[in-house]
Amino acid sequence: MNWPQLLVTVLTLGSIFGVVTLSLNLQYARGGMINFGIVAYFAVGAYTYAIFTQPPPQGLDQYKFGFGWPWWAAVIVAGLAALVFAAVTGWPTLRLRGEYLALTTFAFAEVFHSVLLNERRIGNGTVGLARVERPFGDWGPIEEKYVFAGAAALLLVATLVVFRRLLVSPYGRALDAIRDDETAAMAAGKPAQQMRRQVFLISAVPVGFAGAVYAMFTTLAQPSLFTAEVTFIVWIALVLGGERSVYGVVLGTLGLVFFEEIVRAWPFETVRSAQIAAAVEHVVTGLVFIAVLRYQPFQAAATRLRASR
Amino acid sequence: MIPTQSIWLRLIAALFALTLVAAACGDDDPDEQPATDAPDTTSEPAATGDAEPADEEPDGESATDVAEPADDVAEPVDEEPAEAAEPADVGEITVGVLVPLTGELGEFGKIVADAIEFGVGEINAAGGTRCGTIRTVVADTGGDAETGIREATNMIESEGAVAVMGPTSGVMVALVDLAHREEVVIMSPYAGTINLNELGGNFVYRTVSSDLGDGAASGLWLSSRGYESVAFLIQNEESTISPAEVARDEVSGSGIEITDFIVYNPGQPSYQAELTTVLANNPDAIFLAGGQESGVTVIKEAVAGGFEGEWLFTADLAVPEIFDAVGAELINDKAFVEFADADPSLPEFIAFEERYDKAGDPFAPNSFDMITLVALSLEAADSCNGAGINSVIRGVAHSDGAEVSTFAEGRDILASGGAINYEGASGPLVFDESGTVSGAYTIQQAINGEWVNVEFYPASTFDG
Repeated sequence: MNWPQLLVTVLTLGSIFGVVTLSLNLQYARGGMINFGIVAYFAVGAYTYAIFTQPPPQGLDQYKFGFGWPWWAAVIVAGLAALVFAAVTGWPTLRLRGEYLALTTFAFAEVFHSVLLNERRIGNGTVGLARVERPFGDWGPIEEKYVFAGAAALLLVATLVVFRRLLVSPYGRALDAIRDDETAAMAAGKPAQQMRRQVFLISAVPVGFAGAVYAMFTTLAQPSLFTAEVTFIVWIALVLGGERSVYGVVLGTLGLVFFEEIVRAWPFETVRSAQIAAAVEHVVTGLVFIAVLRYQPFQAAATRLRASR
Repeated sequence: MIPTQSIWLRLIAALFALTLVAAACGDDDPDEQPATDAPDTTSEPAATGDAEPADEEPDGESATDVAEPADDVAEPVDEEPAEAAEPADVGEITVGVLVPLTGELGEFGKIVADAIEFGVGEINAAGGTRCGTIRTVVADTGGDAETGIREATNMIESEGAVAVMGPTSGVMVALVDLAHREEVVIMSPYAGTINLNELGGNFVYRTVSSDLGDGAASGLWLSSRGYESVAFLIQNEESTISPAEVARDEVSGSGIEITDFIVYNPGQPSYQAELTTVLANNPDAIFLAGGQESGVTVIKEAVAGGFEGEWLFTADLAVPEIFDAVGAELINDKAFVEFADADPSLPEFIAFEERYDKAGDPFAPNSFDMITLVALSLEAADSCNGAGINSVIRGVAHSDGAEVSTFAEGRDILASGGAINYEGASGPLVFDESGTVSGAYTIQQAINGEWVNVEFYPASTFDG
């Protein structure tokens, strides 16, 4: 087994999805909002990055917009686009609570996915946008993939730092108060609705950035990459890592991606063995999830981290 | 005060940094892939068309550059060419087989992987390539692009694959950038997507024609059946929409009324809404371009809704399993299917059919041709890697050299310094600028629970 390659893939994808999980953690564990449509904000970031970096349409292309911007500008726009999308979707949905909010955000994500599937002028329909710009080259002796993994990890660490600072600040404690007892917090003068909306908007920005990095990684922005499955994977990572713990969330996401990758890293040399592996993969995955939920190793690790501070 | 001194935050950052450093300093398992780790001595890519063997002196400098053991194998191969069957003792060279073994295209993935496995068996039985015997690494994509990227990356980075074969359309498009970045050849025997008409050509090839050809063949068939009206039901995938649009133009051009052109999203429990519209116009035939999962539901619901006309399916439904899934009695005599196919009268196909009992499966000859082309390219190239294959594959597939249809024949001629022109089991393989071959098409009819050939359109039908 090629461990360096395995670690790089885990670090890259784990960091990208870790950012999404951290944002979900902020919304759910601190803001008390159940967002079952997080994939839509992720997709907005990816598509925005692709549209702003790709060249204008030519030949068989059916999309109408391609601006050819530099990658760094497109990344910034991706974050802003996710922010705007959160503002647009948050305005009607955040009046709802609990399962109603969950269903509405899920519906928004499905509508957005349907638009991506059927609207060829923006994202090329089901074909999607291929050959998305992947900006990082080799840095001297360090190969591009390691540079890329480093960039993804940097985004995760930056998100972690910003969110931690936010949560340990008076603003974060006000959020905790609203989550624990909204009536009491409002009686103390905390604008619950406004703060909840702010959290929704703030947490969307890194998801947009993560979407852009994901588009760089896959060099593709295609509807099939942004299905409800992404939302559920991120939720699973959140549950595995333990809500309310930023470290647990990061460990849970990295652990989930590591498990996916280690299953794939095993080389199957015959068609039959690959078929059997494909058939049992989901069974094994389910069993591992059950075991992790039962013993909660990531939560325990995160708790130990906190306790030893 | 904000605890910026959080030691654990720093530890996590340090862990990331250490991982990167460890990964950057790591070795990519050179012991497992001696041949593929050889220095790339590939010179300028061979010109398209003529197959000047890239390596006329296999024992010379370039062969030494490739891999040391290559010298050991060159001479025995010269002395005992085709029937030598002595495995070359030069290690292994890895080829990835990246197919959907699950999901809507799972049946095709199995056919493709089996045909590649058969081809590898023949090549290795003939002594293997000068870069070593071929080892396959097989992975399931489920038709998912992200899985495809992750699996292909594993194959290339961890297993040292010099070529990745068998991705479906969406996965192929997703892998174009990876192919260029890693300089690994990616080939598909069934990715007809028109996207590759622009993206393919360098490291990206296919032994099947573009979907536009499928559309033309379907349109030709529908126009020749004497229908007065046809409805189009198209799954919302690029690989089904683009051929359907070509077929629609052909059909409407021949004066047939198109009652509906409906694009539906797959994964629904029922397609009653779409079928209600279609059946209200009572078409003579329905052109159904759908996957195996959605297609089965559409067919059952249409028949239950009273449709008694004929069907034309696209390649996704050209599998025998469709009779069990739908119920043969519902489609017997009424259903036809169109797919890119080998010319059954070609001597190369007949010879392949004699050796491989599943030669008639859709895309099996194309898959066999794919692995044979890669193996012959390894023989012709200066180096045992993707860049080497890429530099000579066009010339191996088509040139003024001697016509060959098996790996052993081609290897012997290449070893003696000659040029070869590989005539595939699926037909002549001439890669155009986009790395695509022109194709022939078969129409089959459902008769007594199996698909039976009723029409064949050779590639020349669509010339001009």
